[in-house]
Amino acid sequence: MLPLVVKRITPQSTDIVSIDLVHPDGSELPEWEPGAHIDVQLVTRQQRQYSLCGDPADRGTYRIAVLREEFSRGASMYIHSYLREGRTVYASTPRNLFPVLPAKRYLLLAAGIGITPILSMARQLAAGDADWTMNYAVQGDAHLPFAAEIAGLGDRVTINSRDRAGRLDLEKLLAEPQQGVSVYCCGPSRFTDAVEQAMRHWPAGSLHLERFEPKAIVPLPNTDFTVRLARSDRTVTVPADRTMLQALDAQDVAVSGSCLRGVCGSCAVRVLGGRVEHRDSLTTEDDATVMYPCVSRALTPELVVDL
Amino acid sequence: MKTEFRRLAETDLREHLGYPDQATSDKILDHLDRHCLAFLAHSPFLCLSTSDSDGNCDNSPRGDYPGFVRALDAQTLVIPDRLGNKLADSFLNILDNGHVGLVCFVPGMIETLRINGTAYVTDDPKLMQMLEQDHVVPSLATVIKTEQVYLHCGRALLRSGLWDVEMQDLANEVPTSGQMWAEASGLTTEIGQLIDDGMAAAYKTLY
Repeated sequence: MLPLVVKRITPQSTDIVSIDLVHPDGSELPEWEPGAHIDVQLVTRQQRQYSLCGDPADRGTYRIAVLREEFSRGASMYIHSYLREGRTVYASTPRNLFPVLPAKRYLLLAAGIGITPILSMARQLAAGDADWTMNYAVQGDAHLPFAAEIAGLGDRVTINSRDRAGRLDLEKLLAEPQQGVSVYCCGPSRFTDAVEQAMRHWPAGSLHLERFEPKAIVPLPNTDFTVRLARSDRTVTVPADRTMLQALDAQDVAVSGSCLRGVCGSCAVRVLGGRVEHRDSLTTEDDATVMYPCVSRALTPELVVDL
Repeated sequence: MKTEFRRLAETDLREHLGYPDQATSDKILDHLDRHCLAFLAHSPFLCLSTSDSDGNCDNSPRGDYPGFVRALDAQTLVIPDRLGNKLADSFLNILDNGHVGLVCFVPGMIETLRINGTAYVTDDPKLMQMLEQDHVVPSLATVIKTEQVYLHCGRALLRSGLWDVEMQDLANEVPTSGQMWAEASGLTTEIGQLIDDGMAAAYKTLY
């Protein structure tokens, strides 16, 4: 992890602050592209993932934005109450599980704090000659972060709020499947779930979404299984009451976990044999060759992994 | 060796100590002000005192990530229950007698935050979700309504050198928990070693 200094904290709405992080000696930070996120570890040792929402061309700064959430696990409240300019946090290098891929046309959909990856995407698309539009669902002007920046993106952006264009009707917007249109979506679960639902009849692969809350999954009952580590030729037993990541960790098999809820993708492990019960919020194909051991388990008595 | 001595009453005690300054009494609040809240938000460790209705006391350590004791407001604190020995001494006392006392520590800080209040035990699902750590949601938590809150001066920690790194050499001079357990239970030193190895493995599971 990289020690970064909080250079500036800027209130962006009644409940969102943006935080600019810089290297202590001002040097350049690892490059990133829109859609990327970093892990941020606080002095309290709590670690969370935040999408980068600044300008990738500004090589000295990572900008993240944090929503004040009173009924959350505490990191958001810590940041709002106690993180100050000049303090140090630890950050991972950027990881991008939400990259913008070439498409004929782009539809960007964001709700609430889900604006963070979408804002960088919009900025990038606006700078080129891409065909794109964006809908941003937010309660009202008081809750609208980055208002000036969003206004600067021009009339391709519709702000769906009670103070602007009114409620976003996803079923209507997404009623007609459109060939060659890529939809990029980020927001709270109820928003991403609604988009997923509204696009159920679209061509496969049209929807790219990033969740920051785990998808609601009804898992099978936990059972014991074994994991064979192909590279080191070892076997690790995963008891029913422990995650595979915990079992690997207990045997000193280093896999770096971060969110521990199947959202961030940092613990990805390549699967060589056996079938996986994917319980994460990232996997889209049943036969995916990558699994996330912080939440996912086995459907077969044994998994073989590339570790 | 003599093990019984003169037992003092309060008048005798006050002859020795005198009375506290008004300023000392004044610093006792009934709630957490913003500085106390900041202290608690950075505290990873506390000792929790409880007693049953007969006055039999217990004190037990609680530790987690800094800020694990959540202040829901200036007078309401929540301590999540984590993996432990299932003796439930504190819980059973609290069910019997809600009065509790806490001493909270911040590593490197010599002052400690003392909080007295009244507690109860809950399993409220929404509250439990807020207390998730490492993918584990606790099943129980202690809710405390504060009655007295004050910052205790740093002399005890200063005199004890509690945060001095070189003081950690002391731990090498104390029997290990396996050695203590083996001797107390009449087991061999080999079994004591096995207990220590088992504990080291078990300590990898913190939640």
